[in-house]
Amino acid sequence: MHIPDAFMPIWQGGIYWIIALIFIFLALKWARNELTEDKIPMVAVLSAGIFAIQAFNLPVGFGTSGHLVGGALVAILLGSPYAAVFVLTLVLIIQGVIFGDGGLTTMGANILNMGVIGGFIGYYSYWGLHQATKKVYLSAAIAAWLACFISALACAVMMWLAGTFPLVPGLVAMGTYHALIGIVEGAITAGAIYLLLQARPEFSDAVTGVNAA
Amino acid sequence: MKSEQFIMIGLVVAILIGIVAVFVASGNPDGLESTALVVQDQKALLGDTPDDAEIHEEEEGRFAYESPFPDYTMGEDGGKMGELAVIVLGTIIALILAFAIGKVAMAKKS
Repeated sequence: MHIPDAFMPIWQGGIYWIIALIFIFLALKWARNELTEDKIPMVAVLSAGIFAIQAFNLPVGFGTSGHLVGGALVAILLGSPYAAVFVLTLVLIIQGVIFGDGGLTTMGANILNMGVIGGFIGYYSYWGLHQATKKVYLSAAIAAWLACFISALACAVMMWLAGTFPLVPGLVAMGTYHALIGIVEGAITAGAIYLLLQARPEFSDAVTGVNAA
Repeated sequence: MKSEQFIMIGLVVAILIGIVAVFVASGNPDGLESTALVVQDQKALLGDTPDDAEIHEEEEGRFAYESPFPDYTMGEDGGKMGELAVIVLGTIIALILAFAIGKVAMAKKS
């Protein structure tokens, strides 16, 4: 759901950029306060992995494809939605500037949809579901699906405000396709958490809430 | 697993994912592009994407930018090797940038 420059008037992109900058500032604050020698390798590997896997479009039917976004994954593993803002901002800057994937004037909007909304929905729905079910992977998969779906609806509203999509058909189509793409998001998020916890078991405290604030 | 080992294995796995993606990733439009085709009456919501479907893009009053490696390619002549090179390059940049910014941010802890 990388919005290209052509899909949005420049001034609207500017407004989303200003809001995104507030979250980027908070994400840098998170990095300053929360990052440790142990966490930096995880942040680096997640950034590289998410960059690579976002190039991996899987067919989801109806002539459409989709890939992992990863905001829920990062937020759950590192125990903060700001971790998702940090990693997704970095990945989106590289994608936009070097590969033209997602626009520059629309980068703030993309950071808001995928990093901020994806991270916050992923993080808080994970914790709600985890408290209710005590199941890590099921909760993570559903949270990731929700993160993908809600981000897509937010993107549809932005596209309506930009005059690019009509409101209801935009919401219906974005919702339909990302309900399917969200299945990819959910499955890969749960699988990736499993694999990364095998390699770095010390992160399981953050995921199961042992030391969570 | 030690941090250095974790980073190296993580980077290798990420690069492998990128390499496989170059060969097998779906060329179908993504969710946002599909939606654009639907609202522009070029595609049915639950139908396949026609081969000749093309998104009409507004140019008036919109920013335009030519990236060095558009759509993860080295251009027409780069071919698959070009695509492989840029995906590996991007993956390494993502790892190094995250590591470096993380370190700098951490060092500013008072």
